[in-house]
Amino acid sequence: MSAEEKKKQNHEAQTMWQIVRTQFAEHRMAVLGVRTLFVMCLIAICAPLISKLYGVGPDDQNVFKRYQGAFTTIEASRDQQNEAFEGFVTDSPERAEILLEQMAAKGLVQKDSSQSTEDILLDFFDARDETLADQLQSLNSSEGEQLLQLMSRFKTFHLLGTDELGRDVLMRLIYGARISLGVGILVALASALVGLLVGSLAGYYGGWVDTVLMRITDSLLALPILPLMIVFAAVELKKVPLLGELITGQNESIMKLVIILVIFSWMQAARLIRGSILTVREREFVLAAQTLGAKDSMIIKTHIIPNVIAPLLVAVTLNVGNSILWEAALSFLGLGIQPPTPSWGNILFNAQEIVHQAPLLAIMPGVLIFLTVISFNFIGDGLQDAIDPKTIRR
Amino acid sequence: MTNYIIRRLLQLVVVMFVLSFICFYVMTLMPGDPVDIMASSNPNITSEDIARLKTLYGLDKPVSVRYWNWLTKFVQGDFGYSRQYRVPVTDIIGPRLINTFILAGVALLISVLIGVAIGVKAALKPNSKFDYYANLFAFAGISLPSFWLAIMLIIGFSVKFKIFPAGGTQTVGVQLEGIAYVLDRLKYVILPALSLTLLQMAVYVRYARSAMMEAMRNDYIRTARAKGLDAFRVTWIHGFRNALIPIITVVALSLSFLFSGAIITETVFAYQGLGKLVYDSIIANDFNMAMVSFMISIAMVQLMSLVADLLYAYVDPRISYS
Repeated sequence: MSAEEKKKQNHEAQTMWQIVRTQFAEHRMAVLGVRTLFVMCLIAICAPLISKLYGVGPDDQNVFKRYQGAFTTIEASRDQQNEAFEGFVTDSPERAEILLEQMAAKGLVQKDSSQSTEDILLDFFDARDETLADQLQSLNSSEGEQLLQLMSRFKTFHLLGTDELGRDVLMRLIYGARISLGVGILVALASALVGLLVGSLAGYYGGWVDTVLMRITDSLLALPILPLMIVFAAVELKKVPLLGELITGQNESIMKLVIILVIFSWMQAARLIRGSILTVREREFVLAAQTLGAKDSMIIKTHIIPNVIAPLLVAVTLNVGNSILWEAALSFLGLGIQPPTPSWGNILFNAQEIVHQAPLLAIMPGVLIFLTVISFNFIGDGLQDAIDPKTIRR
Repeated sequence: MTNYIIRRLLQLVVVMFVLSFICFYVMTLMPGDPVDIMASSNPNITSEDIARLKTLYGLDKPVSVRYWNWLTKFVQGDFGYSRQYRVPVTDIIGPRLINTFILAGVALLISVLIGVAIGVKAALKPNSKFDYYANLFAFAGISLPSFWLAIMLIIGFSVKFKIFPAGGTQTVGVQLEGIAYVLDRLKYVILPALSLTLLQMAVYVRYARSAMMEAMRNDYIRTARAKGLDAFRVTWIHGFRNALIPIITVVALSLSFLFSGAIITETVFAYQGLGKLVYDSIIANDFNMAMVSFMISIAMVQLMSLVADLLYAYVDPRISYS
């Protein structure tokens, strides 16, 4: 029996978050959602490490081996190997020379002036396949490591096959998780912040501030969002006076998408917070606290914030899921995250035209989006149940 | 009542006015000014010609002036000329609107009927096996990406089993009459409607369930049972009638989704509706077309929410607008 259960049985006082935690743990799907997301986040965070171990990066192309099925091993053609060695030699001739010296000293290759460096390397690669890695490592030099890295590209394994440019599907999905989850969480947090600001301004000041802010909120809620998002997404940022200067370069499409999604998703949080503040302000315990001489800061800290934070948490959780769906939808329409940056939406966008050729390519990202979003929805549901005092079972 | 309707319609006009300006402004920020696009395909054009063309079409004027010109024409019913289709905008809009109505209507009808039925049944037996699966279905539905579902339907029904066409609105190049025409249209509507229906249904199941549970908890339900009314009357006349109010709210709100969601679904299935028109015209820089189809989408959503508000008063006598 855990300490908390003991506490519950002895009717000891529990803090609000203890109650929430025990209640949440009873929601099976929500717990499952937390676990799923934990694994996904872990994989997303470790993406560079996985890429290193797996031997393929998300942007490594091989246009001769497109749409390979799952569990395929791809060996580079003779030409490609030749090209790679040539590239190595022409990029840094002095390094290649050093390497050759080292290898000759170890007796791995015969130094022959009639042969070019790349041919010697190629012969070496052909002759010893099994012990090649050990031999190069025994050189103990950075040049050896570099060559090893180069050669590891010749034979790649693709767990989920390759896409329309011969890139590894698994790695793109993992890197896509970083973008999709990142955008979802960022949008949810940012829109909660905007909602907090607008909602508390409206709730605190009341009067015409409240009227104006809530009118804007309500009219935004009543709009067909997707057509508006498409128009906004088609905007060229350079033509926008202030933003154009702020956002440039590689992350442009990501930041643009985040801004657009925030513009259209802060309303729910704002209404929620305004509502909470209005009801809490009129409650008897606030009056009691005031009569006891509590300062405004004290009332805000101990009475208003805890009552506002709980529903906000639920809204944020649900919003992450929705933002991921919107991101995917816009990227799917070709207006969101721009390739080569992978996101689950634009992987699907690229896959839709060849569904008959490579159905797996279209199925995988959708399954991941679905799993992520349903996890967030279940967690939101679980939190709501856990936080709502009406459903608390004591 | 009449006063209320007039006030709402006036509000609608104001909202449309504000939004049309915002959209007009945002569209000027899109890449590609019409004359620049024209010039890029014509190597012989001189910069003087470009400047003259821009003056001719008023593109050198500030946004506010251009907006005013557009608005005065729009109000007079002159919607302009579509660059993409090379015909007046009015010629395109009509059939597209009908197509979207057919799709949205079919999807709405089926999803409301089945969704509400499932929700009510789940609410009548809470925590049963049926309730559990209904809940699971509802969560799955709100978490599915619509475009992915559409692609899966295409893979299933038109690639693996060639039952339905993968896309389009009707069979091209065949003149059909009467029943054959209706059947042909139906064949093309089924898959997009199915993908919209499955997603919408999930929402209705959730709301219908919670609304019905709430309604059945009321004291008058207990009274009705106590005085010996049969279960059917208690459920449908006393319970369901009161659960209808929140259900109407969510149906009205989801109309906005049906138009928005239809953009994606129509695009995936290449269904020639209003949603695809909005998307296509924005992508193709077809300015007049985009503005008009856009205004129609917004007006439609606003009108539907007005209809929903009027329906409340009908369903719930406690609400009155006079």
